[in-house]
Amino acid sequence: MTVLILTGEEDVTADMVVVHLNGSGVPVVRLDPADLTDGVSLSAEYVHGRFRGHLSAGGRLVSINGLRSVWVRRPGAPAGHAPHPSAWLTEEASQALYGMLRGCDARWMNHPDAARQARHKPWQLRLAQRCGLPVPATVITTFPRAAREFAERFPDLVVKPVSGAHPQDPPRAVPTSRVAPDTDFSAVAFGPTLLQRRIAKRADIRLTVVGETLLAARKAVRPDADPEEVDVRFAAPGSPWEPVEVPARTADAVRAYLRRAELAYGAFDFAEDADGTWWFLECNQSGQFGFVEVETGQPIARTIADWLSRPIPEEPVKLDEAGSTVR
Amino acid sequence: MQPFALNYARPAVELAVATPYAYDSGLQLNVLGDGRIAACDHALLREVGTTTSTAGSKTHFDD
Repeated sequence: MTVLILTGEEDVTADMVVVHLNGSGVPVVRLDPADLTDGVSLSAEYVHGRFRGHLSAGGRLVSINGLRSVWVRRPGAPAGHAPHPSAWLTEEASQALYGMLRGCDARWMNHPDAARQARHKPWQLRLAQRCGLPVPATVITTFPRAAREFAERFPDLVVKPVSGAHPQDPPRAVPTSRVAPDTDFSAVAFGPTLLQRRIAKRADIRLTVVGETLLAARKAVRPDADPEEVDVRFAAPGSPWEPVEVPARTADAVRAYLRRAELAYGAFDFAEDADGTWWFLECNQSGQFGFVEVETGQPIARTIADWLSRPIPEEPVKLDEAGSTVR
Repeated sequence: MQPFALNYARPAVELAVATPYAYDSGLQLNVLGDGRIAACDHALLREVGTTTSTAGSKTHFDD
């Protein structure tokens, strides 16, 4: 049984997992859906009540029914690299590929439906609340007045994109940024705006969850850190990431979160305050993990490889009233 | 008028370092010029930063 990895060629983080799969002798087929029709091929038949499907890439051929797991890592838009790409072709290729894969029994990391839902940050905040994780006071609004009133209640605020996406025309990044108390909020009317109470953090926490396995790393905020830089992705290199134990209550809540989100993988970001409380910021369903493993030595790639390598659970056998097997 | 959050935007920073490895479709791995597997060289990965959580990615925002 084969592990199918959907990602781009340049994804060296996926390589970290492929190395372990190779070491375990688990067959791997890696392809980028963007290469469909130009390096990647597919075919499937639905005939006489049976399904037979195949994928081909890099000289490898794999049966869809021979897949044990599918890792949706960083796939490109289907047929995006085709000689004549178009939105129509991408939709056709997407429906063909993911439609075929959805029909197989392989385990997903993560299933596309769960992944799509999990990307919604407002949904993440509500699910985190429901699972008992501390969530900083947050407002998402297009009412300038609501933003002003929120700022009066919580004067120390940050703003961040609702989607986590960044504008591309021209390419810009929108880091989590502090908002001055006397800010003019009138522009809130021109787009949904997410304002959140700033957590005076003493560390950033990245908690990577693979199945039931939790691997947490902590990056302490240096005493001389610029208080205006609240987004760890933009802050100057500071303390190293170090392994840290996960508090039992947080572990239970995080596992509940992934269970309810139907995710096999999630990378949680927390801000640790002066009391040691971990405040939930977000859960990235395909978050990077290589930088944590490189700094901490935590076996994240091996844990992912082990999860992907597990056999498909056998369908439970049911017996009818006469004792015959029912499938 | 632009949305409020864009008042805090800054130019996206592209990776300035050219990756010293290339994809080998036979191995399904990126390899260095001397044939070593790039993913096994953690010092290199730290240096080039390609496994790092970033912001401003054109195609992905699940960092």
